[in-house]
Amino acid sequence: MSRQAPPSLIRRLSTVVGSENCLSSPEELFTYGCDGLTLDAHEPSVVILPRTTEEVRRAVEICLEFEWPFVPRGAGTGLSGGAVPLDGAVVICCSRMQEILEVDAENRIAVVQPGVINAELSRAVAHLGLFYAPDPSSQQACTIGGNVAENSGGPHTLKYGTTTNHVLALELVLPSASVLRLGSPTGFAAGYDLVGAVVGSEGTFGIVTEVTVRLVPLPEAVETVLAIFDDVPSACRLVGGIIRSGMCPAALEVVDQRTVRAVEASTYAAGLPLDAGAILIIELDGAECEMPGQLARIRELADHEGVREMRIARDAKERVLFWRARKGAFGAMGRLAPDLYVHDAVVPRARLPEVLEEICAIGDRHRITLSNVFHAGDGNLHPNISFDRRDADELARVMAAGREMLELCVRVGGVLTGEHGVGTEKREYMGLLFGAADLAAMETLREVFDPDRICNPGKLIPTTRACVESNPRARGYDRVPIA
Amino acid sequence: MRDSDLNELRSLLGSGFRELDPVEERAGCRLRVSLEPRSSDELAESLALLSAHRQSVLLMGAGTRLDLGNPIRDTSIALSCRLLSGVDELDEADGVVRVAAGTPLAELSRQVEAAGWLLPLSTASGPGTLGGALATAFSGPRRLGFGPVRDCVLGVDTVLASGERVRCGARVVKNVTGYDMAKLYVGSLGTLAVIERVWLRLSPRPRSVRVLEVHPTPGDDVFGLALEAARRPGARAVALIFSGPNAGGSENPSAGNWRLLAEFAGEQEVTEWNAGWLAAGRQSVASDVSAVDRLGDLQVSGSRRAMRLRIHILPGDLERCCARLQVLAARLLVYPEPAVVHALFENEDGDVGWSDDLLQRLAKVREEFGAQTVVEALPEGRESGGDVFEGAQPLALMRSLKKSFDPGEILNPGRFAGLI
Repeated sequence: MSRQAPPSLIRRLSTVVGSENCLSSPEELFTYGCDGLTLDAHEPSVVILPRTTEEVRRAVEICLEFEWPFVPRGAGTGLSGGAVPLDGAVVICCSRMQEILEVDAENRIAVVQPGVINAELSRAVAHLGLFYAPDPSSQQACTIGGNVAENSGGPHTLKYGTTTNHVLALELVLPSASVLRLGSPTGFAAGYDLVGAVVGSEGTFGIVTEVTVRLVPLPEAVETVLAIFDDVPSACRLVGGIIRSGMCPAALEVVDQRTVRAVEASTYAAGLPLDAGAILIIELDGAECEMPGQLARIRELADHEGVREMRIARDAKERVLFWRARKGAFGAMGRLAPDLYVHDAVVPRARLPEVLEEICAIGDRHRITLSNVFHAGDGNLHPNISFDRRDADELARVMAAGREMLELCVRVGGVLTGEHGVGTEKREYMGLLFGAADLAAMETLREVFDPDRICNPGKLIPTTRACVESNPRARGYDRVPIA
Repeated sequence: MRDSDLNELRSLLGSGFRELDPVEERAGCRLRVSLEPRSSDELAESLALLSAHRQSVLLMGAGTRLDLGNPIRDTSIALSCRLLSGVDELDEADGVVRVAAGTPLAELSRQVEAAGWLLPLSTASGPGTLGGALATAFSGPRRLGFGPVRDCVLGVDTVLASGERVRCGARVVKNVTGYDMAKLYVGSLGTLAVIERVWLRLSPRPRSVRVLEVHPTPGDDVFGLALEAARRPGARAVALIFSGPNAGGSENPSAGNWRLLAEFAGEQEVTEWNAGWLAAGRQSVASDVSAVDRLGDLQVSGSRRAMRLRIHILPGDLERCCARLQVLAARLLVYPEPAVVHALFENEDGDVGWSDDLLQRLAKVREEFGAQTVVEALPEGRESGGDVFEGAQPLALMRSLKKSFDPGEILNPGRFAGLI
């Protein structure tokens, strides 16, 4: 059982946001017990849904007064347990702060509240010939505030960068309940790069209540190509060839055979060949005049790697179909088993072929159902494990395989996460990558923002307690009911 | 620092310890001692000793940008990382490099290009080191194409003031494992930690580069043209240069007193398409990349009597802002996106009083446009009397950060924004 907040705390919070924006029944709280990492659920004491910075500030002030922890939350689509309310924390959910406050087309910036949905922002500025570049697979649901917390990426990170490359300024409610403005729409602010530090801090430095983002022009031309291979390593070798050739595609994404089959059996079907060993999605964008030359060079490189077939999207409609298949892959996995564990790690791109082979071998050794869909251009792997949590033995094998995969990635020079974050999921693994002094420096930084440790405690940095909790049973993996 | 304490440093560093006679004046300090560690261990041990004695130091690489920042407080010792030099690993397949902070940029650039890649740092020429470029976050003309300095930094090994060695990031090009400490170190003028080694992301070499110098026609909207050029696919550097009030005598920034320099990189079709567009109907001259390289030098040019100002502004305000600066007799180098104005003011009469009045007038310009400004150089003999980084906020949090990472405040004290 999670710790329960005193009723007086809940009453005070309710007066700030109004009772209609304060959730406290067990049925309501259940939804907020976890994010996309459903294995790790903890019931919050209360959930509030503020609409303004001042409401957030007052809520934080009350939590501080009661010395009660709080957790910022966007749409809850994160995959590392970053929005999980440990220890009966109050969830401050910003999903109703969803106004686009300003769009300045001349200067290519937008100012938004944190609850604005990622894809909505791009839709809202499309008529100006602009878009918001970071595009996580969950972009139809995830919020800009959540993207800031996790420094979200997406398939087009390869060319456009992650969230940190697109955030110019922030409004932040500190755990001390003061409101700060960080950064500048000009892209430069004197002093330490606090915006850079806050982006990706997984909601442990405060609650972001306003975001100024950079908008990017829609490209004049886009070409989307499917390179169909008999095996994953060949597709990965083409990725290396393209990178070395000097081209900078907008996206290089690999899906393996098991993923293709799941997608083709789902609502995201795009007519992909079921017998393909791997499909590399290559997207080029830029000036119209450069497309034919680049396509020809890619064809040449693909032939060299033994490509079986190349399909070029004939029009925007077919391009959307290809991307629906790619971005719907995680949803399609629901056909394979009741549960899906989406891993996230990064390796040097040149090591992709050997690492993928070893990951498959790990999967075989642990007898798990493994599929791979990943951002190959960035070396960002997503080994997906389909399983049934009700089977304790299978769950143990899933966890063991996951750890081995992470150890492998770190061993070849990679890291634990490229875009999902550490959260609770990888907190215990931080020691694989960092030494005590490295982690102490992170702890020092955290204390500058949150000396009382009430803002999203128990995330990102391992603690003794966290190590104890890293045991799946202790974390409650076996206690989460099937929704 | 007592002589006995200095002797500890002398025995640790051997020939890397030098007493300066005569005393050298640099960055507002009268330097008595120069320390040049030759290894990471020597660097860490030096800092631990300095920290134990609460002895502040002026940190530097090659010392090429010591004019940037506020005067350093109470320092008579300089510590340079220039001997921590060399490429540890250059991964040609992946386009990443691990390199020591004291490595000269020119040398690093040569090695990277020999491996078929580009170093995506746009700097001035000279003996500057990588560590210096990162600590100052120097952004030159190719920031448009390469992005800000911080974007190419994948991982950083630092030594804290305590002498403890700390790592963040890694060699991979995408990473959210732990806090992004590197963002704090880059541009912090060495006030949080000493950068020791870095993993950098390299850029692919373009198949084609075209550089064009254009004299806009009287009918051109100069700033509109520059911004349009900067926003075209393949634009790697675009700059407007206004050489001074005598170049045309007009206060109208669109009256043809400007030169526009544009560099396009990428596929040949794109660079030709861009060059054709820009040259159409205008007087243009084909140039080469060295012309763009020289813009980095222009950014840091000026006599000892000059005052240099960097202004960050929204692109839409550029024209009006430049008009105000032209009235103040500035020479201007303008990057339209991200919009940065480098303004140079010279006064030949030797009296530095003119700069006081000028600073007041510039403060009004800053206020009018909500600009962010940095006074990069003051006329020799004029004390700054304030913070050359205008308007750093939130200062309390920044001071707390400094205090947490450098409790004894020994690393470049006073040099950074807010006199941190």
